[in-house]
Amino acid sequence: MSTFSFIEDTTWQCVGCNQPLQPTKVNVTYLNSLFTVELMACPHCGFILVPESLAVGKMLEVEQLLEDK
Amino acid sequence: MDQLQLREFEARCIQEEQPFCTAACPLHVDVRPFMASLAKGDVRGARRVLDRTLPFPEIIGRLCEQPCRPSCKRGEIGDPLAFGNLERYCVSNSTAVLTLPKLPAKGGSIAVIGGGFSAMTAALDLGRKGRNVTLITEAAGLGGTLGTYSETALPQETLAQAASLLERYGVTLQFATSLAENSIAALITEYDAVYFDLDEIEPHRLPPNAGQPDPITLALSCDGCFAAGGIAPGTSAYSVIKQADDGRRAALTIERYLQKVSLTAQREMEGSRTTRMYTVITGMEPAAEITAADPKAGYTAAEAGQEASRCIQCECMECVKQCAYLREYKEYPKTLARKIYNNQAIVQGTRNANKMINACSLCGQCTVICPNDIPVPELCRVTRQDMVRSGHMPPSPHDFALEDMRFSLSEYCTLTRHQPGTSVSRFLFYPGCQLAGSAPEAVTSTYQLLGTQLDGGVGLMLGCCGIPAHWAGQKDLFTKTINDFKTAIKQMGNPTVITACSSCLSIFKEFADTLTVTSLWEVLDGLELPTFSDRSPEESFTLHDPCTARHQETLRASVRSLCAKLGLQIKEHDFNGPLADCCGYGGLMQFANQPLGKKAALVKAARSEHDGLAYCAMCRDNLAAAGSRVAHLLDYIFPSAETGDPLARKNPGFSQRHENRARLRQELLTTLWQEQAGSLPEHTSIRLLISQEVLDLLNSRHILEEDIQKVILRAEQTGIHLVNPNNNHRLARFKPVRVTYWVEYEPTDQGYVIHNGYSHRMLLPEGQQ
Repeated sequence: MSTFSFIEDTTWQCVGCNQPLQPTKVNVTYLNSLFTVELMACPHCGFILVPESLAVGKMLEVEQLLEDK
Repeated sequence: MDQLQLREFEARCIQEEQPFCTAACPLHVDVRPFMASLAKGDVRGARRVLDRTLPFPEIIGRLCEQPCRPSCKRGEIGDPLAFGNLERYCVSNSTAVLTLPKLPAKGGSIAVIGGGFSAMTAALDLGRKGRNVTLITEAAGLGGTLGTYSETALPQETLAQAASLLERYGVTLQFATSLAENSIAALITEYDAVYFDLDEIEPHRLPPNAGQPDPITLALSCDGCFAAGGIAPGTSAYSVIKQADDGRRAALTIERYLQKVSLTAQREMEGSRTTRMYTVITGMEPAAEITAADPKAGYTAAEAGQEASRCIQCECMECVKQCAYLREYKEYPKTLARKIYNNQAIVQGTRNANKMINACSLCGQCTVICPNDIPVPELCRVTRQDMVRSGHMPPSPHDFALEDMRFSLSEYCTLTRHQPGTSVSRFLFYPGCQLAGSAPEAVTSTYQLLGTQLDGGVGLMLGCCGIPAHWAGQKDLFTKTINDFKTAIKQMGNPTVITACSSCLSIFKEFADTLTVTSLWEVLDGLELPTFSDRSPEESFTLHDPCTARHQETLRASVRSLCAKLGLQIKEHDFNGPLADCCGYGGLMQFANQPLGKKAALVKAARSEHDGLAYCAMCRDNLAAAGSRVAHLLDYIFPSAETGDPLARKNPGFSQRHENRARLRQELLTTLWQEQAGSLPEHTSIRLLISQEVLDLLNSRHILEEDIQKVILRAEQTGIHLVNPNNNHRLARFKPVRVTYWVEYEPTDQGYVIHNGYSHRMLLPEGQQ
């Protein structure tokens, strides 16, 4: 499966690790479907950022598609 | 829903029934598009309609006796349409637009004996079906009685055109052929089927054993022989449309005869008939017939357009006219049911109708309006139940409402007590979760009044009747909820339950019918109301009956009686009482389709230009959210200087409702029963500072303040969150149950300022929730 990339420059930093976020491949799942996507995450602790635009945009769209499968 | 149930459901919807004119027409001309085309000056479009249905439109179009005219609905508000004149206008001003195909030849030889119009029609229909047809007449040409019409009424060239049309479909024409007794007998032997046109062949020339033609099949007693046409028995006048009807019916019988299938099965739709169509003409302006200025010349284009414009395009759509849901999805019950059936039949693939199924308010207005009482809401609700059972119910439409219900039934909101200082309850006040959430102070005041005036002890129960689970198709959850309620009532000694919510009342009446339940309004109507000098506003109100009071006539009467006692002037409108609209909450519409929920509220609000008065807390709040000035009836029974203008009270929103319920329980418990209320969960101590703009955003995204508090509590306790060094905002997330909430916030001395909140259901990798 191809990897969808949602990396974008961000001013958010991981407070615990004091690290800027970096593009990272992660597996997200919903209702028995798995997607490999590229998101910004802390290179040290792995905290993944889901930006608002993704949550209310593409992610919501895919969630609703999967719910109707 | 199985296929049989679908068929039964579909059969009850009459929207697709033929309009009155089309049903009355023996050939069932599709009159509505014919009129619509003429109305916009599209003569070719109108001609296309005639070409599709009529044999020889040039002939029928000029001579049709318009048997449809008496059944025209326009006749009830003005004159019936001038069908005949419009047909004549159409065929006189157009040439054929459509040539129906000739099917591949299939064998079978038919002799059509006689040259009248029924013979011509039978020959044409059978020729189109690919049969070998020979039309034999003693006359020198086609037409029979048609030959007696004047050139003005029927130009002779139309008969010549008809002859060439028949030949184009492969019909052999034999004119001036002797039809003596022995030649007829020979034809019967030679051909597989023989049709006698009685316009030319007198009955005594039929075969000796012919008998009378069967009225349905037109079959004679002798095998393979059929007869019709001419002047109908018992009538004296020749009718062109009757000839066409006979010819078409005979052709169909002969086709079936050659295929060796039943001649009689399913023929009830043929010929002139009645229809179940239901068209309401109330409010339509009467309009008289447009007559041609020069009757000899017939209609001008303008006159024809004006006359055709009088067609009211008969249809039913009565439910759709009023229902925001059916309008939104552009369905009427028959098409809706089919989509639901198809959606449920999908094994692999996208179930496109899920959202539609979940968006119906289940309010029942359509069923009351429908002349056949079609139960659309029940279909939608039962389908939801099936979806839950089969694991195909999407989680997102109902999750929020069901969580809301769980909260109302949690230890933080529920309370069951006898009246302070008593140990028995003759009555029990059940305000319902939404009144407790919307106007907790009204619950307190009402309880005080009931406790003071009713004898025998008035207990109190705070909770939720379970209707969200019922609407969501969550049968198990609903059954458990209603059973728990029944058990609790029994433990209270079976008091008479007094509920302020008509949804609760409808649920209890249907699912807890062993209990004694009444509405608060009926009880208050029998009590002495508190007296206040300034409680009667001068202006008139429109009273908004809730959809769940549709079948609660006594309740509605009590509300009106109370209004009269309070000096509130009520203006009624047509969509109240049994026809009341839903405010958008019913059936969890506003959760499955948020914009539609808002539209529904706007429709309800727009029924009247007066300020609104509701007695359902959800109606009150949804109408307020839609921008209406609307009060709750209890606002005028217990007016309070503190709450300000009851008409201007804002929709509290989901978070405030939660808080109101929890706080109501705490207050009642401590003030009335002198009991310690249990402590609230830790996250409730997180102090939030939220602007109205962000609050509205969170409400629309179904994010509660307590969700925000949980996120912040977790982030601050663990130190796991992001930070924006430019403004020191923090971004954190938490997944309490199924939904992951993200909050952008900023700690200040006064509390946490909330800048944004959003959520998703998709799961991040393990350990990242």
